[in-house]
Amino acid sequence: MSSKLFGFKSTVSHPLPIHRLQVQHSSADRVTVHFINRDGERLTAMAKEGESLLEVVVNQNLGIDGFGACEGTLACSTCHLIFEEDVFQKLDAITDEELDMLDLAYGLTDTSRLGCQVCVKKVMDGLTVQVPMEVADMRRGLEVGKQSK
Amino acid sequence: MALLQRGRCCGAAATTSLRRLVRGPQGRVCGRHVCSQYRASSSLPDEKKEFLQNGPDLQDFVSGAFSDKSMWAEYKGNLKRQKGERLQLPPWLKTEIPIGKNYNKLKSTLRSLNLHTVCEEARCPNIGECWGGGEYATATATIMLMGDTCTRGCRFCSVKTAKNPPPLDLNEPYNTAKAIAEWGLDYVVLTSVDRDDILDGGAEHFAKTVSHLKERNSKILVECLTPDFRGDLKAVEKVALSGLDVYAHNVETVPELQRKVRDPRANFKQSLQVLKHAKKVQPDLISKTSIMLGLGETDEQVYSTMKLLREADVDCLTLGQYMQPTKRHLKVEEYVTPDKFKHWEKVGNELGFHYTASGPLVRSSYKAGEFFLKNLVEKRKTKVI
Repeated sequence: MSSKLFGFKSTVSHPLPIHRLQVQHSSADRVTVHFINRDGERLTAMAKEGESLLEVVVNQNLGIDGFGACEGTLACSTCHLIFEEDVFQKLDAITDEELDMLDLAYGLTDTSRLGCQVCVKKVMDGLTVQVPMEVADMRRGLEVGKQSK
Repeated sequence: MALLQRGRCCGAAATTSLRRLVRGPQGRVCGRHVCSQYRASSSLPDEKKEFLQNGPDLQDFVSGAFSDKSMWAEYKGNLKRQKGERLQLPPWLKTEIPIGKNYNKLKSTLRSLNLHTVCEEARCPNIGECWGGGEYATATATIMLMGDTCTRGCRFCSVKTAKNPPPLDLNEPYNTAKAIAEWGLDYVVLTSVDRDDILDGGAEHFAKTVSHLKERNSKILVECLTPDFRGDLKAVEKVALSGLDVYAHNVETVPELQRKVRDPRANFKQSLQVLKHAKKVQPDLISKTSIMLGLGETDEQVYSTMKLLREADVDCLTLGQYMQPTKRHLKVEEYVTPDKFKHWEKVGNELGFHYTASGPLVRSSYKAGEFFLKNLVEKRKTKVI
């Protein structure tokens, strides 16, 4: 039988599960996104075009604490992310609803956006975003610094 | 080794059978060769077979054999979260699956009356216990008013969130009061979601429910666990004067962690003001609040928070363990031991709280009726003496 139909090669001895076949075919639409977590750790994910950054974090179980509490309904600011200047300029315009919630976020910067409102595009391949620090983390960092002295 | 070989044979057979399928009706799918995704037990190695034979089975789990309290002190697992890890649930937090007549009865009553409970919405682990009724046979349920969708997204709470939840059901106060009165509860806790989209935050709606309820059954004890109404003290007053017995509002955590844990529209000072004001406008009220432990707070912070609360004349305090409801919420930083919770209970009693309910599974309205009645009965006894 034609091996193209199932993606089998004649040398393969066991069949590939169907979902793996689909991933192989759509690898071209994957965009690489890097998240710099609060502790400095770099988390890399392969996002699908059109997915919001919140969806990327949640669906791929990235270890970012308390991210997306309102499930992307613009009722919190827990998916607050800091972008690089050049990428920030290219993002879709911010709505008033997003601005209202973003204003409440801790550690707001000029290149901050809410991750649930930013959808991944092909041109963002290799994007790096920073997860902002929390008040509590900053305080704890200072305390640890004091203790180590 | 034998397994791998068998796997390959299976694979080859499957390829063959699939080819046969494609070939058309002449090709038969030979049953013997269809590769199952699931390994038959006969293909397991002997050690595994023995483990399955001699290890725990479903009966042990269902009977609660693993909730043996004597094993808690021996638990050697990690209780404080290290970077990058997710803590395992210690044995004292494992609860039984809710089953039983009372639980089922309550569940079907709620559905038929179209009532929401925070017990279900926020995935409370005590649902089986509270709904089943305790030693005083007071089943407690916490009815959630104003729908099941909140306008805030706090990082510890899994209640649904939306920017514009569905509008309030104007018949809800009347219907809820009717349903609760019919139900025959002795103690009911009414709570709600945050409704920042409504002018008074839903205070009028809340107050109406309480007054309707008291009209139908003046003997029922009502506790209201309210939102902060964005600090609108007029709204707080409306609810406080509606006829309820216990006014509850949760500060949730120590002041240092408020920003991290709660929605930024909430804060410690505002919450404390709510509690103070309720007492101010209705001095006969009993005020109550709740703190979650295990979010990264220190002992000093907890102690000073308790002192602040007592100074604000808060009567009742509950302390419970924070448990991560979904992966979008904060990870547990520490699992506080039952002994530590007992320590905080002692501290609370020493500070002069009317009662301090403290335990890993204690929640704001956990057995609220039980505690309240038990305390009331005891206090009355001492007066007689």
